[in-house]
Amino acid sequence: MKKILIVDDEKDIVETLAFMLKTKGFECICAYDGEEGLKLAKECSPDLIILDVMMPKINGYKICRLLKYDNKYKNIPIIMVTARSQEEDKVIGEETGADEYITKPFEFGDIIEAINRYLK
Amino acid sequence: MAKVLIISELTDSCRKIIEEIKKNGIESILSEKTPENILLQIEQYMPDIVLIDTDFENCEIITKQIKSKTIQQNTQILLLLEKDKNIDFLNFADGYISTPVCKNILIHTINSHIKIKKSLEQLGENNRELARSLYQLNVLYNTSSQFAGTLDKDKLYSIMLEALEKTLSFDISCALVFSPAGDNKIFIHSLCEPTESLREALSLRVTLEYKNLFENQPLPYKTNLEGIEIIQKVKPSHIQNIFDLRALNYDSLFAPIKVGDHFFGVIELFRNTPFTKEDVTCFQSIVHQVALPLRSATLYEEIKNTNIKLEKLERLKSDFVSIVSHELRTPLTPINNSLEIVLSGQAGEISDDAKNFINMAKRNVTRLSGIIEDLLDLSRVQTGKLDYKYKITKLTPSLELIQKTFEQVAAEKNINVSLEIEDNLPEVYADSHRIEQIISNLVTNALKFTPKGGSVKISAKVEDESEIDKSLLVMPICKLSGKYIKISVKDTGIGIKKENIPKIFEKFLQIENSLTRNIGGVGLGLSITKQLLDAHLGAIAVISEENKGSDFSFYIPLADEKKMFIMDTNQTFGTGDDSGILHIKEKTNCGFIDEVLKENLIKLSKKSKEFKKDGDYFVLLPDTSISALDFMEKTILDEFKKPVWQNCDIVLKKAHSKKDGKELKKILEKINI
Repeated sequence: MKKILIVDDEKDIVETLAFMLKTKGFECICAYDGEEGLKLAKECSPDLIILDVMMPKINGYKICRLLKYDNKYKNIPIIMVTARSQEEDKVIGEETGADEYITKPFEFGDIIEAINRYLK
Repeated sequence: MAKVLIISELTDSCRKIIEEIKKNGIESILSEKTPENILLQIEQYMPDIVLIDTDFENCEIITKQIKSKTIQQNTQILLLLEKDKNIDFLNFADGYISTPVCKNILIHTINSHIKIKKSLEQLGENNRELARSLYQLNVLYNTSSQFAGTLDKDKLYSIMLEALEKTLSFDISCALVFSPAGDNKIFIHSLCEPTESLREALSLRVTLEYKNLFENQPLPYKTNLEGIEIIQKVKPSHIQNIFDLRALNYDSLFAPIKVGDHFFGVIELFRNTPFTKEDVTCFQSIVHQVALPLRSATLYEEIKNTNIKLEKLERLKSDFVSIVSHELRTPLTPINNSLEIVLSGQAGEISDDAKNFINMAKRNVTRLSGIIEDLLDLSRVQTGKLDYKYKITKLTPSLELIQKTFEQVAAEKNINVSLEIEDNLPEVYADSHRIEQIISNLVTNALKFTPKGGSVKISAKVEDESEIDKSLLVMPICKLSGKYIKISVKDTGIGIKKENIPKIFEKFLQIENSLTRNIGGVGLGLSITKQLLDAHLGAIAVISEENKGSDFSFYIPLADEKKMFIMDTNQTFGTGDDSGILHIKEKTNCGFIDEVLKENLIKLSKKSKEFKKDGDYFVLLPDTSISALDFMEKTILDEFKKPVWQNCDIVLKKAHSKKDGKELKKILEKINI
């Protein structure tokens, strides 16, 4: 079973997303802030990470960069979920190395489609 | 009483003359003997007339020396001359009386020369006054042109004081000036250093004079001498002397500095010698003259401050919209997710009715997120944060995608959406996602305003600039040239009144217009559409007839219309290399450095001559913020009207990231720069 790590400080988003992904046959690990997310990414070796941008402690872009510049983790596909806020605008364009960007609010269909693209 | 000096030996005839003169009420004395003493005597006695006996010893030398003395220029010299006697220095005298003296002739001659002397004196005085007036006039003239040259208040005051000093040579001036911002000042300019007590006295006095001006009326500005800034200036050459309180007894002039109801301050001048009528006129004229530019300066200041405030407000509004949109978007995500889960049946079976209602909720979530998207886009377009991913692209797939997307919605209203694309539609240099957004906005509107059973027709074809009816274009930001792809969205809807066409591109029009309130949407779509097109250097045209339908057509320049310009307002600057790329850095969010820009444009236009030989590829990389567009209109468009540029087109590109930079490099390689 493929393992997906979901990192988002919005608990409701994580819960609904995890529920839906489970019904599609994925195993889900959930993290509710950047620090926890980074820790779990390294400990649980997920097959794919869904990452929110604006989060407390460490933002998504930073996590993405940290993982993508680390040879051990750089092959894990990362889907960034962005609310396209002003804060995000400031860091946009920085090389993060994320594989995919999806805008909030998203359709499950889009997320599943993206996941399938990287996990097949 | 007129005075006569008689240079003669005391002969009988001389005595007679003295007696006769005395009889006629004219004062006279007899001279000393030697020329030196006589000259000294003249200086002391200051006679109106010198009567010289030509029999007197050294009379020739004396005559010549008196004549050459400048101090007694107007003193009349009369010679006593024997009849038929010939002397060669007659020219040095003003007249002569022949001897033996005839009484009547003597007195008559003396009297008429006294008159001549007085006239000469008057004339000299008049000339001097005239010269002074001329000088004052000159200063006034120069001052008025100096006044016109600045909007700096302090500079205006200093020009005024300088002019007053030149024309009136005052000893001390004291001006109390006010500004709406509250920084009141006292200027004390003087010939010599004033004592501390005199400075205080002057400040107090000028304040009292100011209060007296507005007796029984409210003061236009509050006066608080404590902490007021006193700007003092002393003429460097007179620094060794001092002015004390006695200076307050000098003659003084006082005037308010004002024009109409605009009051700026008061000024008082002190001079040891009395002021003349002309001085007063000159003083008033200068003080009045400064008031006009002061008013302009005040207005200019106000406008500047208002502009700063407006810009800040605009930014705040944009920030607000952006933050609010983000906050709205976050809770929408779990709402949407939950609805999807329920709909999918994974959370348990649901009835058809429930499904229906949940679908309804979901549709509205989509609609709401569309509105938020619009709001965000608009605020991004305005602050220049909208990202464009330009590339050379075909529009056919975008058009087909949109037709497909809207098919279902259209079918619900029984509207037929048709698509007609010219064969082999050429490529454009554009962000295809944004072009899709534009078409989608237009189709959404068409469907919204077309009643059931109507039709919407989307078409695309190539059109030359000469075929475009410019009168239908809505506020294009640049002059069209070359070939364009024209994409039209034509409906059979309610149409738009002609006078309303320009208005529909304004933000939030629907909110303001209660008549169309029954139709959904916040009216941001067209405003965004217009700005997206501006960024692509495109244009939009509208043909509409009430109750018959509307035709919105927009134009995007073809990619093979090469000759691009690159201008970057965000990253680098200057025309550093030979690539023909103009880089311009935006200093602040609200304005460009005009001078730098012009300079670079000039450099670039020189370069363009060289480049024209092979290819003419220039690319512009402007930010698409409002300021960038303003600037496009003002500076660039003016510049590009010049003949050097006529074979070139402009392509907009914004590079925020290294990635964009690389992309840009690729384009440049492709076009062989």
